[in-house]
Amino acid sequence: MKTHVTIALRNLTRQKKRTALLAIAIAFSVMIVTVIYGLTSAISVNIAENFSDILGGHIFITGSEKHGTSKEISRISNDQALRDALKASGINYSYVSSYSSTFATIIFEGKTTSLLINGINIKENENFRKRLSLKKGDWESILTTPNALIVPEKVAQTLNVEIGDVVIAKIETVYGQNNVGEFRIAGINYNADLVSQLSSYTHTAHLNEILGLLPGEYQTFAVRLPSLKETDAAAMKYYDVLKNYVQVFDRKTEANGAPMTGFQALLRSQKKESWEGVKYRLFTINEQLAQIQQFVSAADTIGTTVLIILFLITMVGINNTFRMIMYERIKEIGTMRAIGYQQKDVKRLFLLEAFFLGMIGMLAGFLLAGILMAIVSSINFGMENEFFILLRNGHITFNLQFAKIATIFIIVSILTLLAVSLPARKAAKLSPAQALGTEK
Amino acid sequence: MKRVLLVFILSVSVISLLSAQDFTKILKELDNLNNFEKSDFTAVYTIITQKPGEKDSVLQARVFRRDREDLFLILILQPEANKGQGYLKDKDNVWFYDPSSRQFTFSSLKENISNSEAKNSDLTRATYSDSYTIEKTEEGVLGKIPVWIISLKAKTTDAVYDRLKIYVRKDRTMLLKEEAYSVSGRLMRTTLIPKYVELNGKLLPSQIIIVDELNPGEKSQITLTEQSVSPIPDSVFKKEFLERVNK
Repeated sequence: MKTHVTIALRNLTRQKKRTALLAIAIAFSVMIVTVIYGLTSAISVNIAENFSDILGGHIFITGSEKHGTSKEISRISNDQALRDALKASGINYSYVSSYSSTFATIIFEGKTTSLLINGINIKENENFRKRLSLKKGDWESILTTPNALIVPEKVAQTLNVEIGDVVIAKIETVYGQNNVGEFRIAGINYNADLVSQLSSYTHTAHLNEILGLLPGEYQTFAVRLPSLKETDAAAMKYYDVLKNYVQVFDRKTEANGAPMTGFQALLRSQKKESWEGVKYRLFTINEQLAQIQQFVSAADTIGTTVLIILFLITMVGINNTFRMIMYERIKEIGTMRAIGYQQKDVKRLFLLEAFFLGMIGMLAGFLLAGILMAIVSSINFGMENEFFILLRNGHITFNLQFAKIATIFIIVSILTLLAVSLPARKAAKLSPAQALGTEK
Repeated sequence: MKRVLLVFILSVSVISLLSAQDFTKILKELDNLNNFEKSDFTAVYTIITQKPGEKDSVLQARVFRRDREDLFLILILQPEANKGQGYLKDKDNVWFYDPSSRQFTFSSLKENISNSEAKNSDLTRATYSDSYTIEKTEEGVLGKIPVWIISLKAKTTDAVYDRLKIYVRKDRTMLLKEEAYSVSGRLMRTTLIPKYVELNGKLLPSQIIIVDELNPGEKSQITLTEQSVSPIPDSVFKKEFLERVNK
């Protein structure tokens, strides 16, 4: 085996230029796909982190009360049990916060649009102010305007509103009654993704008043963890303890094959239940942004498809090169067969040569991808741009997972070996007499 | 002197009580006009919706009601894109059926029908006396018609609108106008009923105009045709009916 490896490596160095070109082709494909994988994975993490900054948490709890026969009211009147359970769970958390949110129809001078309004404690939530990038307006006037509304630029365009305009919002109270509230546009923020295009922000007190909540009541209790990575494990731990303090809905993180996200399945299954008093629902930022995760999965599939297409093209090159190599070395193969090399030894030599070629290409590809990612991630794009939600502190980031690198490694190895298998088999089948008698 | 004062106070109290009872009676009469406790009711509702800068949209639906069992079914007939969609109310649940996905989803009486200003509750039984208390009554004139203007406040949060102001003809109990207010007290929509028809001794609106007061220029006109109080087969008020009519 050692001899085979030595011969295969020596063979690679016989035509340095040709080997280099093939390795570059492999390296280029690997580099492109590695960067795509790293970018899509980081985007999902960045969106989740930025949203958890804006909403002030990674784990969320909402409280539901049955009102009348079928109506469900979402509100938390007393969060002491939630705080006690959090303390008892021993989770390492940074801080807790609260907010309310509702869907509204916004009307301005004959134009209407639907929008999610989040009531945030803007004054105390410094992370929110840092993360939400304003295109127009300033934080000072937002803080001093009690009915301030920050809308995404796409919504501002749809409604044709500017800073200072007063819009009206048709909102249902938590009891389901029709209500109308006035909001003054005090900020227009950049929007880059679907979720931020549909989200707007106001002061909690103003939204709570329109929702019919009493002072001190709110809709969502949010727990901010030191890092997004800890979310799922911490949520599980908190949930187990919370069950001993209050009534909690069963957690559902998978859609059971239905055409919906796990979070939607959770809400749907809970609609059918009946209970008395307040029952709490615990979910995470990952579950809430499951649709973004679906987008990332789609991007990953595109990445894998690009890798396969690029490699199918490269395979044709590798296949042709190895056929050429076979004819170049036909007498050498004959000699080797004459001195006792078996068919499988010849085949193994070719496959080993291809494997090392693939390895060199992949290593170079990963190295180039690393250099490219380091250069790109060092550029500071700032927070005042429309892609801020995709960035982390103004930087493009990359998040390479071992599983993704392993996928690239396996795909490239298999395709390279497949490309060489035909010439290798043909070379192995040559008899010594036939090989030695062939004129080049 | 004390005796005169006592008689005066008692008289005022009795008159006030009688008047209040009269208005409660008016509310019950209005509910009865639009409720069919003894028979079924079916009609075709044509809703023409106008929105500024948009082409008028037409929605036609056949409504089946059995008020004594609190059942209704709304089957959309037009436009082609919504044809076959339906709302089915069975006691406390309102279901929406979409033939394209062949699935039922939870809906509500408070939801607008398709893209119109009309809500499901506009096509079903009225519940003024059950849902609202009388806050204030006054006399007025609507056009040239003398009316009672009755201000109502929702008894519970179950009512879609927290406050209503209804204009009822003095000479004959007929609702001519309704103003619906939000919890914050803002006028949200005005409903006008300019035309009535008589069916089995009951006065039924044949034309309803709903004006969106928050979005000037937006309004829906509902026209009722093919009204009937003939019995409706039980099978109509089942989910299977909506599935069957779409086959």
